[in-house]
Amino acid sequence: MSLTIALSKGKLLAGTEDLFRKAGMPFPASEGRRLVVPVDGLRFLLVKDMDVPTYVEHGVADCGIAGRDVLLEMEPDVYEPVDLGFGRCRLVVARPRGASAAAGTSTVRVATKYPRVASAHFLERGRSVEVVRLAGSVELAPGLGLADCIVDVVETGRTLEENGLEVVEDVAASSARLIVNRASYHARREEISRLVGALEKARTA
Amino acid sequence: MNGASHRLVQVPPGVQCFLGDEARRRRSIEERVIAVFEGWDYEEIIPPLFDYADVFASQALLPKTYSFVGRDGSLLALRPDFTSLLAKIAAGRLAGRPAPMRLYYSGEVLRYEPPRAGRQSELYQMGLEHLGGDPRAADAEVLAIAAECLDVLGVRGFVLALGHVGVVGGLLAGAALDAATLERLRERVEAKDPAGVRDALPAGAVAVPVAEALVRLTTLAGDAPVLAEAERALAFCPPALAAVTELRQVAEALRSAGLGGGLAIDLGEVRGLDYYTGLVFRAYAPGLGFEVGGGGRYDTLLARFGRPMPAVGFMLGLDRLALLLDRQGARPASVAAAAEVVGGNGLGPGLQRAREKRAAGVRVRFEERS
Repeated sequence: MSLTIALSKGKLLAGTEDLFRKAGMPFPASEGRRLVVPVDGLRFLLVKDMDVPTYVEHGVADCGIAGRDVLLEMEPDVYEPVDLGFGRCRLVVARPRGASAAAGTSTVRVATKYPRVASAHFLERGRSVEVVRLAGSVELAPGLGLADCIVDVVETGRTLEENGLEVVEDVAASSARLIVNRASYHARREEISRLVGALEKARTA
Repeated sequence: MNGASHRLVQVPPGVQCFLGDEARRRRSIEERVIAVFEGWDYEEIIPPLFDYADVFASQALLPKTYSFVGRDGSLLALRPDFTSLLAKIAAGRLAGRPAPMRLYYSGEVLRYEPPRAGRQSELYQMGLEHLGGDPRAADAEVLAIAAECLDVLGVRGFVLALGHVGVVGGLLAGAALDAATLERLRERVEAKDPAGVRDALPAGAVAVPVAEALVRLTTLAGDAPVLAEAERALAFCPPALAAVTELRQVAEALRSAGLGGGLAIDLGEVRGLDYYTGLVFRAYAPGLGFEVGGGGRYDTLLARFGRPMPAVGFMLGLDRLALLLDRQGARPASVAAAAEVVGGNGLGPGLQRAREKRAAGVRVRFEERS
């Protein structure tokens, strides 16, 4: 059976394609609506970025490409052998420009797509927290009074700026990672090490 | 209103219920595994379902333990694992019994666990503990038993991935790292994440060769050549090297006993550093994304109960084995013959006839009317 690789349909897809092409590996054509795509001895699953760790943890996919931000949130029990170097961004706390840290109630209301990361961040610092879970457009929340601040990923910071927000704290740095199912790593070791080797070489090329 | 919408039929998250063929398949797996345990002269222990909470030693299981206050005010816990209970029994009830002791168990453990990848609140575990005796011989024995169980069940392509917590332990002995850093480092080694291991090490916290060796552990997995590679990479650190030597002894014994095929070395296998003290292993097989079982050496646990003794054990998860065998298409046969209907003779004579059939070993269905 061919190796199954779960890819995110989101922002990491272009970087993943670049890397796979550089590594001389097959990659699914960008058009098409098929979500399971066999290409030259590999099988690709195209799924939502937050779902990549789930497919890999269950072993439905042998490996996958996921952002460190997503791994921090999902905490899957998988191996993470390669930092692929692209998709670099930061997970940050941002709040309306000029709002002071002391403003508001003693409980921080935070809007985020990363509820686990956000609540751990504040709880570890002794702050009570109320997490407002959103699926997207998190930057809108403080302006509309839904939350005091947000925890989200930033690349350039332009979206934050346009929505009147500024970064006040770094939570974690992120980049794309190759993740591997633990059973596949051992039971299909040769195929996995070839893949790891090819991607490592392409990353540093 | 139909029955299914009645609130009382709702099932709490994390509990399971098995019917008919599925229950029969589980029972058949259990019977075959127990036959292997018995075949290696292990003795069954049926421990209590709950005990004093402080009996259960594993820090990792503490937050997952269902504990409650007994009538007399003592803190009790539903067993989250069997090993602590067997250690307690070995040091208490069996205090007069000479070592080595070979004990096994089969039953449910209960853990407070959000249901996700292969995890339930009720888990059915079959396992054994080898207490006392020659440590290397015991290590090799339990691995051979684990392999035999998987063979007997017809699991195809399984791998026993062997590690040793003494490798990381040796490298970090004397390093001035706080508990949080240590845990983060352990978790990143376990994730085979070289970049993460580098990030987790505060600048200057450990000597350069130690840092390099820790990063190296994330890739030291595979066949026998990994051991030679590890011996070179760890030559500067005698305790870590000694751990690899132990691992080599066990691996070579298994190989010469014909068990080399299903064996792999994984020096990044470093879970349970607070609990395990030597060899650790997990069993994987194609078709299931997580291990079907695992175990290791825990030489300090028995001392907690006042009878210091080296010990090694492992367990197989029945839930995961059933799932794995199902995915591998190796279903054990269900019932051999359909039941014979007995009826139409009147209640007394009918029952008499059914009993005769039963005495002859026939599967009967009693369909008589009064």
